[in-house]
Amino acid sequence: MSDGAGRTGVSDPTARLVQRMLVERGVVRLASIALVVLVIFSLASGNFFSIINFQSMGFQVAEIGLLSLAIALTMLTGGIDLSIVSIANIAAIVTAQLFMSAGSGTASGSSSVVMTVGFIAVGVAAGTACGALNGLLITRLRITPILATLGTLQLLNGVAIVWTGGRAIYGMPESFLNIGTGFVAGVPAPVVVLLLAAVGTAVFVNRTGMGLRIKLVGANPTAARYSGLNNDRVLMRTYLMSAFLSSLAGILIAARSASANADYGASYVLLAIVIVVLGGVNPMGGSGTVTGVVLSAFVLQMVASGFNMVGFNSFLYQIAQGVILIGVLGLSTITQRYDLRSALRMRSGRDVDGAPSEQLPAALGPPVPPREREHEQ
Amino acid sequence: MTTASDAGQRPWLSRLRGSNNEGILALTILVLCVGVGVVEPSFWSVRTMLNVASNSMTNVIFAMGVLIVIISGGIDVSFMAIGIFCGYSVIVLTNETGFGASSAPVGFVLAAVIGVALGVLNAAAIAGLHLPTLIVTLGTQGIIRGAMLAYVGSKVIPDYPEGLDKLSTNYLVTATGTSSTRLSVLIVPAVLICVLVSLLLRYTMVGRGIYAVGGDAESARRAGFPVVGIQFFIYLFAGLLAGVAGLIHVTRVRLANPYELVGGELDVIAAVVLGGASIFGGKGSVSGTVLGVVLISLIRNSLILLGVPGSWQRAAVGLLLIVGVGAQALSARSRRTSADLVAEGAPA
Repeated sequence: MSDGAGRTGVSDPTARLVQRMLVERGVVRLASIALVVLVIFSLASGNFFSIINFQSMGFQVAEIGLLSLAIALTMLTGGIDLSIVSIANIAAIVTAQLFMSAGSGTASGSSSVVMTVGFIAVGVAAGTACGALNGLLITRLRITPILATLGTLQLLNGVAIVWTGGRAIYGMPESFLNIGTGFVAGVPAPVVVLLLAAVGTAVFVNRTGMGLRIKLVGANPTAARYSGLNNDRVLMRTYLMSAFLSSLAGILIAARSASANADYGASYVLLAIVIVVLGGVNPMGGSGTVTGVVLSAFVLQMVASGFNMVGFNSFLYQIAQGVILIGVLGLSTITQRYDLRSALRMRSGRDVDGAPSEQLPAALGPPVPPREREHEQ
Repeated sequence: MTTASDAGQRPWLSRLRGSNNEGILALTILVLCVGVGVVEPSFWSVRTMLNVASNSMTNVIFAMGVLIVIISGGIDVSFMAIGIFCGYSVIVLTNETGFGASSAPVGFVLAAVIGVALGVLNAAAIAGLHLPTLIVTLGTQGIIRGAMLAYVGSKVIPDYPEGLDKLSTNYLVTATGTSSTRLSVLIVPAVLICVLVSLLLRYTMVGRGIYAVGGDAESARRAGFPVVGIQFFIYLFAGLLAGVAGLIHVTRVRLANPYELVGGELDVIAAVVLGGASIFGGKGSVSGTVLGVVLISLIRNSLILLGVPGSWQRAAVGLLLIVGVGAQALSARSRRTSADLVAEGAPA
């Protein structure tokens, strides 16, 4: 899953190898963090290392994993999608509403399966259409992704509240609920959905032209435009894809909880951003791996279950999320700056360590949030 | 016949419009008032005015903090967490220790100090580590709220210390009617803070520095502004304002509920952005922000008055934000086009 290789078109094989290792290093580091977390909680709580616990973690990790992938895609372009949870709930509500109005709770057999597939398709399509709204606001009106998706977060959530009257919708048939609660060869069905979606996203990001364009637009929108890319089309597809993944998460949520609700999972936005950043996606855009995101979703799920089993309350988990988010990002910024400085020293043969930071060249100075880059003329 | 050339011929029109479209916002508010007043005549009353003022009181102080952050090119989603942390902690602290229980000002100083201390978290991560502001404040929001619920307390407290208790029933104006509507005396500090922030932004070196950093941090640095120092000031000051606003909120509602406020960030950010502040930094005004807060409060109020179910409020604010920001983005684009024409020597 190394997506570093072809990106900058490096011809020198050693440089390519180094780049590949840098990407792998992030994944390797995450895998070791996962192992450490696993060992710590297994030692701290006897029940942690058990099939039942892994299965219960699997049921929870799938929806947040899908939402993280959705945010990761938009972050690759240097944007963000804050409306993921609202979109997920819209998809869930549409599907649940269809089941309710069809009165399908009693239907059985093949007709029930066909109905389930059809209704899910409609729900996912509705959620994806919400992504088109994000895309239009961002590409046509040129609203920054943060504000556009903050607005649609509120708007779609409001529509969902009005629609449901603030109540939960029940009445889905067994064939639908199985998606959220069933097993495939001992593996929770939601995990299978997550892994399929992750492989699909990885192929999309690493092996298709659009995936490469997404990263190019994120790395430098101006350069991408001058290279002949249609930035707007790339952004539009990204937000559609993000909404599609969010909608899948919404379907899983509805199937697992046997209900659809306008206010489900409001705390997921922070958690998803934590996962994506921990997974090594650069919030400024341009780089990140699907493997990293999925791994870090599992790490945080282990931390959550572990905290729960050790007897910490959920508030401590909330603190941990914040600390992890800022800690990981801070650490990577510091090490990155260190790398850059040593690289510069090697090239120019001069010692720049002694120079005060204000004297550093612009490239090494305080990175001015390049958000303004996104929409410059 | 673009707006820019119109304004060029008639300077009073551009003055009326304001540098951040404050005029358009004021006009929107006026039209809204007239419209709702025609449909529902009971809208035109002292009661409505007091209601809107009461509902805007805390949000306008939060908005001042957010305004400063947005002018500097950042975004803050941690201010509500800081606010409720300060408000709730002050009640808990004075109840348990009895320190300054009889004096409300002591409580506010305490809230401000805690707010500044929490602001250090944001400042250190943003100015010290140069991390993106949205992500940092998302993180500190979780940390601050979690810390309050885990260590300060998670129960709703109805008992207030004597000083704040007295303050909470101190009303400036009371309008009697079928049910009396009252305006808390706490509107006075809210207005004072707005004036203070306005003066700070307009007449002090730090204030101009905030605009400079938001316009272009690198240029500001080369022009001699201490960028890191200004960023520290911004997040400490935003923390202070959030702390004071939090205690005002807690005092006004007379029930210290630690689960309140967080989640209402969008209303405030929407108000500031509607008020003409640019998310890219370097642009924004106190008067625009106040109008933005009033507009949102007014819309909520009139929806209730017009008999629209409360469930529509969320969607309405979201739509308002999208429309407002979209209109600004479009007008920015058309202004740029007309500026290009002028540059090319086309007749203005």
